[in-house]
Amino acid sequence: MFHQILLQIFQKLNKERTISAAYHVLRGKRSGQTIQDIGLFQLHQYFGLLPKLSRTTFDEAVNLFMQNSWLNVQESGHFYMETLGLQRAQQTPTFFFDGWHYRGNEHVFFARLSLIVQSLSHQAAAVRTFSPISRDTMIQAWVRTFLQAHHYKEGHLQQQLLTECNHVLTILPVSDASKQLVLYRLSGYQLPGWTWQQLADERKETVLDSQLAFIETLHILLNEVHQKIDDYPLLGHVAEGLKVKILLTDSAQQTAQLYEQGYSMEQIVQMRKLKQSTIEDHFVELAMYEPNFSIGPFVSYDEAQKVWQASKQYQTKKLKILHEALNDMSYFQLRLVLAKGEV
Amino acid sequence: MELEQLLHKHFGYSSFRPGQKEVIEALLQEQDVIALLPTGMGKSLCYQLPAYTLEKPVLIVSPLLSLMQDQVEELKRFGEKRVVALNSFLSLTEKRYVLHYLEQYRFIFTSPEMLLQQQVQEKLAQMKLGLIVVDEAHCISQWGFDFRPDYLRIGDWLSRENRPPILALSATATKKVVRDIRETLSLKAPFEFMYNVDRPNIHLGRVVVEDKADKARWLMHHVTETAGPGILYVSSRKRAQQYSEALLQEGVRVAAYHAGYGVEDRQFIQQQFIAGELDWIVATNAFGMGINKLDIRQVIHESMPANIENYMQEIGRAGRDGHSALAILLYAEGDEELAKFVVTGDLPTLHHVDRYQELLSQQIQPIQMLKNGELSETAFRVLDYWLQRESSEQVKVRLNHLALEKYNAVNEMLQIIQTKDCIREHLVGYFGQKLQKKPENCCENCGIHYDVIKKVRLKEKKKVEMATWESRLQQLLMGN
Repeated sequence: MFHQILLQIFQKLNKERTISAAYHVLRGKRSGQTIQDIGLFQLHQYFGLLPKLSRTTFDEAVNLFMQNSWLNVQESGHFYMETLGLQRAQQTPTFFFDGWHYRGNEHVFFARLSLIVQSLSHQAAAVRTFSPISRDTMIQAWVRTFLQAHHYKEGHLQQQLLTECNHVLTILPVSDASKQLVLYRLSGYQLPGWTWQQLADERKETVLDSQLAFIETLHILLNEVHQKIDDYPLLGHVAEGLKVKILLTDSAQQTAQLYEQGYSMEQIVQMRKLKQSTIEDHFVELAMYEPNFSIGPFVSYDEAQKVWQASKQYQTKKLKILHEALNDMSYFQLRLVLAKGEV
Repeated sequence: MELEQLLHKHFGYSSFRPGQKEVIEALLQEQDVIALLPTGMGKSLCYQLPAYTLEKPVLIVSPLLSLMQDQVEELKRFGEKRVVALNSFLSLTEKRYVLHYLEQYRFIFTSPEMLLQQQVQEKLAQMKLGLIVVDEAHCISQWGFDFRPDYLRIGDWLSRENRPPILALSATATKKVVRDIRETLSLKAPFEFMYNVDRPNIHLGRVVVEDKADKARWLMHHVTETAGPGILYVSSRKRAQQYSEALLQEGVRVAAYHAGYGVEDRQFIQQQFIAGELDWIVATNAFGMGINKLDIRQVIHESMPANIENYMQEIGRAGRDGHSALAILLYAEGDEELAKFVVTGDLPTLHHVDRYQELLSQQIQPIQMLKNGELSETAFRVLDYWLQRESSEQVKVRLNHLALEKYNAVNEMLQIIQTKDCIREHLVGYFGQKLQKKPENCCENCGIHYDVIKKVRLKEKKKVEMATWESRLQQLLMGN
């Protein structure tokens, strides 16, 4: 699965970026460049899937791709996909990750759920003490509040949660093996979970692939719960606050506020004591993720049209090439246009 | 009231376990006490019972938050309501409330970190405490693996005038650690109690092999032919992984355990082992803390333990049910070199001292070293603590000394392995005790009839199969 995901990302970034760009996307790097790449190349689903991905693991995969003649990587890190690689990428299945909206929060969801299930399992067995599966004090406090809010002492919460989980898992369009995977990461009274290694052995794949299948299933489940929130009072509560609504970085958010208050870009540079280029990054982010943000004050409609024509003509989103073709426009203007998307 | 009556009234027990009464009596005579008792031997009763005669709050300092929570729960189960954990779990409002009514509690559990906060210190200074308990006191010692600077810092606070008696509790006992505890806590002529270290139902085997390959052959044969549950201790994560894979191939129900796994995975392995779904654990020395499985039949050391204390603690996990158990130590010539390499690998080096000062002079936070992965967390804690107090030269002397001590500890372990006399007698003697009686099948040198102790492995034990997601869900929530 990891290799398939990488192939898909490389395919989208083909000839436009260095291989590192893919690494940053998977790690969920919060830099202006990566955030823009997400929008430009439609990489939302992969964002931040593996925050702890090591460079070694990533490079091993890249080397393998090169050995298989799927990928050609230049000294500079820029790459293009060979015919064989493109064919391989075509054969990969469609994935249903939603990294952009969850950004690792699926693990918070699962940590809450794990502790809830563990608590209810012990309660059902009338065992009062156990060592909590999550050591995170925030999770523990959250779960305590959750259990009290749903009157767990009355002893009906088990049945209610069972009904909801059964319902959501039954309609979820994923394989039984994926559902099993999620269930075996949960544990309860005299019911230990399985380690990643054990699950990967059982599924005859790598640990990383099992973890990715797990994340994908959680994303699908979370989206189902969010879409029909009224059907899932309990799971909806467990998922509370985990879907990212504000898509801007914190710093871009601050710039946006000042801009809304009527300050000019130059004033904002002064006020925030940041580099001009940083503030420019923020505006590009705004152009990409704030539908109401107009690039009009910076670029005319005609100029925007020209950028898109050039982009089509040269089959690229590379700034350097576009800048050569339209040398009366600044890099900042070009980025704004690309970020805003075709009009 | 007699102590026995109190014991029965509050805890429902009819008699004390070894050491408890002596410790409690000393405390009630306002004497400081160091009590070395292994986990599960009634350590906590030593302060729980005095609380009921003192009529003053007992303050318990404990470094492990999860352990603290367990102890609070335990007391509540005995019907005690006046118990509180003053720790970082509390919200600000809760904390303010707890601090305000602090003298009303009978048991106050807290962490070293909390104890360093000014408002907590001020509040405690106004109160009359009956007893201060320092749990897991070995964490105070820089010789220990768990060294916690915060623990050292509370030493200053504890050395104030008019303090109540202090009870220092620990499960690990080395002479050096005990000395450190005594000095850091400024204990006054403490009464020291140490449990009987001998475990007569554990038979002490030793197998000398030619080399690494020979070792592997012996181990594969032994583990596939004899019965668990057992722990195989190895020297590295990689080795743990390799042995576990090889044994899995042979159909043994086994899993590797080391600190490289996530918290959940580690818990899952422990639970599987306790539930009898696994027969063997191949582990680094990260495995064992807090494991409560009574029927472990074998503990095997693939490589040399760092010191005698570790060895005793690790084999001590076998046979807690009182039935016969087997401890086998494998040795190949030169193993001590690897052990020495491993034990000093975690120490800060002289280079780290210079690097620390270099960063400081560049006005960079030295913690950057840790973030860069230049040294381990334990090593950084040690380095950081001492360099804030002493000059580079003094710290370098200290570090050299520390390395030397660790080498000596390995050599002491080597003597145990190489002795021609009774191994048990040596071990017990090391802890300053005298062996009362040699059990049958005492040790390798006295002679062990392995065929009597070893059980043959039952091969029909099947790997646990995965259930469907529906039935797993049902089991988790409804228990059937």
